[in-house]
Amino acid sequence: MPDAPRDTSPRRASWLERLRRLPEESTAKTLLVAFSVAVVCATLVSTAAVALRPRQRENRDRERRARLVEIVSRIPGIEEIFARTGARDVETDMVELATGRIVPSMDASGFDARKAAQDPEAGVAIPSALDVADLGRRAKHAPVYLVKDRGQVKLVVLPVEGSGYGGPIRGFVALSGDGNTIVSLALFEHQETAGIGARVEDPAWRARWQGKRVRDEQGRLRVGVATERLRPEDAAYQVDGISGATITSGAVNDLLRYWLGDDGFGPFLRTLR
Amino acid sequence: MSGPLKTLFDAVFVENLALSFFLGMCTLLAISRRVSTAIGMGVAVVVVQTITVPVDYLLHRYLLSAGALGWAGLPDVDLSYLSLVSFIGVIAAIVQVLEMALDRFAPPLHASLGIFLPLVTVNCAILGGSLFMVERKGDFVDSVAYGLGGGLGWALAIAAVAGVRERLRYGDAPRGLRGLGIAFIVLGLTAIGFLAIAGLRVG
Amino acid sequence: MPPPQASVLLDPIVRHNPIAVQILGVCSSLAVTTQVSTALVMGLALTVTLCLSNVSISLIRRHLPRSIRLIVEITIIASLVIVIDQALQAYAYDMSKRLSVFVGLIVTNCIVLGRAEAFASRSAPWPSLLDGLGNGIGYGLVLAIVAVVREVLGNGTLLGATVLRRAADGGWYVPVDFLHKPASGFFLLALLVWGLRTRRKDPPEDPAS
Repeated sequence: MPDAPRDTSPRRASWLERLRRLPEESTAKTLLVAFSVAVVCATLVSTAAVALRPRQRENRDRERRARLVEIVSRIPGIEEIFARTGARDVETDMVELATGRIVPSMDASGFDARKAAQDPEAGVAIPSALDVADLGRRAKHAPVYLVKDRGQVKLVVLPVEGSGYGGPIRGFVALSGDGNTIVSLALFEHQETAGIGARVEDPAWRARWQGKRVRDEQGRLRVGVATERLRPEDAAYQVDGISGATITSGAVNDLLRYWLGDDGFGPFLRTLR
Repeated sequence: MSGPLKTLFDAVFVENLALSFFLGMCTLLAISRRVSTAIGMGVAVVVVQTITVPVDYLLHRYLLSAGALGWAGLPDVDLSYLSLVSFIGVIAAIVQVLEMALDRFAPPLHASLGIFLPLVTVNCAILGGSLFMVERKGDFVDSVAYGLGGGLGWALAIAAVAGVRERLRYGDAPRGLRGLGIAFIVLGLTAIGFLAIAGLRVG
Repeated sequence: MPPPQASVLLDPIVRHNPIAVQILGVCSSLAVTTQVSTALVMGLALTVTLCLSNVSISLIRRHLPRSIRLIVEITIIASLVIVIDQALQAYAYDMSKRLSVFVGLIVTNCIVLGRAEAFASRSAPWPSLLDGLGNGIGYGLVLAIVAVVREVLGNGTLLGATVLRRAADGGWYVPVDFLHKPASGFFLLALLVWGLRTRRKDPPEDPAS
């Protein structure tokens, strides 16, 4: 669609007019146009970004809380724990596993543990002597979910993972505020055989974990799954394996001992005591 | 297979920019009528992508992302919202420079490839490659592999489609489907083929 | 004799539809059309961008040196897209996550740059606005049609509301899983193009291709 012809009527030539009448291809005009466009666009974009940032942060936080509530509410029995402890406030923190310290500047929302584990900088190779859960690599940081009541930690929920018979096993272990007593073990991502290894999800088997302690008075790691006869001296720390599911039981044993041990959340749990 | 080689392989086959993510379709559809022109376009894309993805990666890593300006004493600055316009600016600039360099140092190459270069600027696959690289959180070597792989994958796609379309000229497609319609169907079938490779893990 | 304003607006909706006829903006139409809601938001985002960019470029069209014309247009478009992306993240967070990188790809969406070059750079602001609106609506329409098919037949829902009860939910309908894959978009577009071109009765392309 062609333009209408230009207005050529004589007019008092202000400096603005002279600017506008510069020939298009002149260097001065090119630079001027380029500069003006850059300034206007940059101002527009930066204003929008800065002005909208608070709202965006709010949105991200709200989403994180919603996802967290969803994660925590998947732990069977969590409702009664909430009722018992009177706690309703779930806080997510990112923990540096090696030191056990919370890293306040890290954002837990959108954190992908699997991706981070593979990343050369965010993840680290686990030395084979320590890699009881056969993970190969793990992320340097992990999210922890703290259920607090009036500032006091009542429940600690930790994400755990290991290698099962059919594939990776993932889930959460919930410990009471002392960081040493198991309240619940929820392993809901796995490929174990139905009716055999998959019985890690059986309420009956899971109920056995209630009250088991992770470490003894000397601080030694005692938690585990007994694949042979459960010895009386281990009863406070271990549960019987699932009969017929030796590999799965061993996998659960390994993943618990890894993540609750010194190469996993051990340092963090010590800060709670 | 690990590291950069795996990235390269994945970018060409498993995460093909054209057939798995459907980027650069307009250009692909427009240029895939003849294999010779398609290959020319493919080469241009490979060259540009291999250069722009690492450059954009560095730009993002050391200038734009949150905390990137720490080396300049400004660790709290987050300029990632400028990524889009910066990337496209870099791409346009690199293409322009490439075109001028070709014209100066390799005129015959410029004669055959030169016309494709401006089209490459607006090829969504180029920008998409850089944007995806930001999400990948790899390192510099990874970005080179990803750029190369992304370009090769796209070139593979356009060459394959052009090969089929050239033959289809002698086919007997219904009148309403000739040209664009048949091209879409060819693309769809090729994409289905690539679905079979998605999720493939080698090594 | 300049065409009446109405045709500037109505032409691109069907007769010169950007996707089906001009072959522009195809990339995003495949990835975002699994659900009608995302398709509509994408169409809206593109229309807004297109109108704003067409008007801006039209306003400065007489002062754009030829040597930097393309890059200036791209800069303006990119800046507008960033602003829209930021607004989406602030006011429609869930939607922005689903659209993710495709909002950014509006920058290279051939429609926006194509109309800027072909129309806005040589027309007055008001017709440019109409052209942007028309092309945006045309684009949105194609997206919506493809999305309706993909959502209803692929998911049994329309805008989230169940239309065909899935067998998994106790109903009778077994969804066509293929429609979840972006490749299905190609076939739907082919059918759409077929229908459109057969109706028009004039082959706009060389039939021997």
